[in-house]
Amino acid sequence: MHHASTIATIALAAALCTPSAGVQAFDDAQYPDLRGQWTRAAVPGTVDEPRFDPSKPPGRGQQAPLTPEYQAIFEANLREREAGVPGTWPGPSCLPPGMPAQMTAYRPLEFIVLPNITYIRIDYIRDTRRRIYTDGRDWPKQVEDGFDGYSIGKWIDEDKDGKYDVLEVETRHLKGPRNFDLGGTPLHEDNETVIKERIFLDKADKNLLHDEMTVYDHALTRPWTVMKSYRRAADTKPQWDEYMCAWESKTVRIGDETYLLDKDGFLAPAKKDQAPPSLKYFPTQR
Amino acid sequence: MIYRNLIGTVAFAVGLTMAVVDAWAFDQAKYPDWAGAWRRVPVPGITGAPGYDQTKRLGPPQQAPLTPEAEAVLKASMADQAKGGQGNYPTYTCISPGMPRVMTPYGAMEFVITPDTTHIFVEHVHDSRRIFTDGRDWPKDMHLTLQGYSIGKWIDTDGDGRFDTLEVETRGLRGPRAFDASGMPMFSDPDSRVLERISLDKSNPNVMLNEITTIDKALTRPWTVTKKYSRDPKEKPDWAEDNCAEGNGHVEIRGKAYFLSGDGNLMPTSKGEPPPDLRFFKQK
Repeated sequence: MHHASTIATIALAAALCTPSAGVQAFDDAQYPDLRGQWTRAAVPGTVDEPRFDPSKPPGRGQQAPLTPEYQAIFEANLREREAGVPGTWPGPSCLPPGMPAQMTAYRPLEFIVLPNITYIRIDYIRDTRRRIYTDGRDWPKQVEDGFDGYSIGKWIDEDKDGKYDVLEVETRHLKGPRNFDLGGTPLHEDNETVIKERIFLDKADKNLLHDEMTVYDHALTRPWTVMKSYRRAADTKPQWDEYMCAWESKTVRIGDETYLLDKDGFLAPAKKDQAPPSLKYFPTQR
Repeated sequence: MIYRNLIGTVAFAVGLTMAVVDAWAFDQAKYPDWAGAWRRVPVPGITGAPGYDQTKRLGPPQQAPLTPEAEAVLKASMADQAKGGQGNYPTYTCISPGMPRVMTPYGAMEFVITPDTTHIFVEHVHDSRRIFTDGRDWPKDMHLTLQGYSIGKWIDTDGDGRFDTLEVETRGLRGPRAFDASGMPMFSDPDSRVLERISLDKSNPNVMLNEITTIDKALTRPWTVTKKYSRDPKEKPDWAEDNCAEGNGHVEIRGKAYFLSGDGNLMPTSKGEPPPDLRFFKQK
């Protein structure tokens, strides 16, 4: 009798304290604290030119495992860059860099972790908000390709301490043109890229975040894996400056040609002996 | 003895449960359900680009309380647009329209609520926002932006224990900004600000209301409009990208607007518009 009363009492107390059905609660203590402003972590002993593999020098130093066809495109890009033209890097046209380049953090990142989705905000060229769905959904049968792609993720508790520590992500459904970085290492024009990521805080430093990224792409001879790292800003209330590409870009794309805008806004050639744009549609020029 | 045991048992059970409750740091139940994709509600009979007050047509029908100087800018803007120009509306170069124009969403809008910040994502040009709800003060060195710096506060107006209204103030606004596609101007200055009260329509939770008041030197008095958004019924909305620069045929050279033809060549946008100065090119 006494034992039954105790059980009933505990059940009653628990019922009183348990939220009613339908009320949402988010145990954010289960997830790593990814709040704050994250910037690209400098790799000691290297220059801080943003690049896909931070551990290697930019350009040819990246040693990207490109097919011969795409190595040739890359070399052409390098020649154009040396001549002052952006090559196939879409940034000066104000097209978004897309995945994977945007995870190079040309500008600060912000992570928003919620039960069914993790957002990554990046204000660079486009005010990107990557959506990484963690609600257990399947790949959609039909989805519009995008520069950010479509990402499905899963939280993992690797060290079995009852708290998630790794976000595994797969991204598909990408569109182009895209490059690995502004050095002009190209991705394949078929846009069949698949990107896998493992995002996790450094075990020794909770203000250091890693993104182990593997890219599968037909421009490559094999999957290419790199480790990107980001450092959390000390300021817990950072300002988020906006980036308006049209104000920053000093180039204009007319047809297949890229031109420069000089300091006074006049159109100027981007390479030696570049012909001016055709003015055939201006009546006074006919 | 039994009575004391019962009290002890209840206290023990409550204690166990409270330990779990403490871990629920973010009680989403305290906030309104603003999930999903929101789009502006079209107004019957009002066609074309939406005016800032969506219930009225663009331009003078808006009956905006403009100063004479601002009226003159609007008039010149619409005259330029009638001839094919862009007027006083710089968004054609993919510059964000800024606040408050971004709250006339041209694309789908998403509200992401966290305890410290409510993010508003708008799939258009560069229109997303952050509204800080962590009780912070205005920063001493506020960086000026087109979206401004927004601080908000959640209010429980009906006392039911759940927040229902987000009050927002936005300062730190820079230009150039216009209220809408007519080029109706704002004259950004340190005193410019935008106040909002965002809430669900009490008679229809799939309609959201945003009462926006703009204070600006282009206006003779604060101007308040109420915007309406409707929720997409799809539980898993399609968030298609809208990249302004993609397929954008507009080109600006030294403040002049041009257009790219189907064959990729420069075209004038108005009759008699001269071509760009090509002084730096070797002419044949």
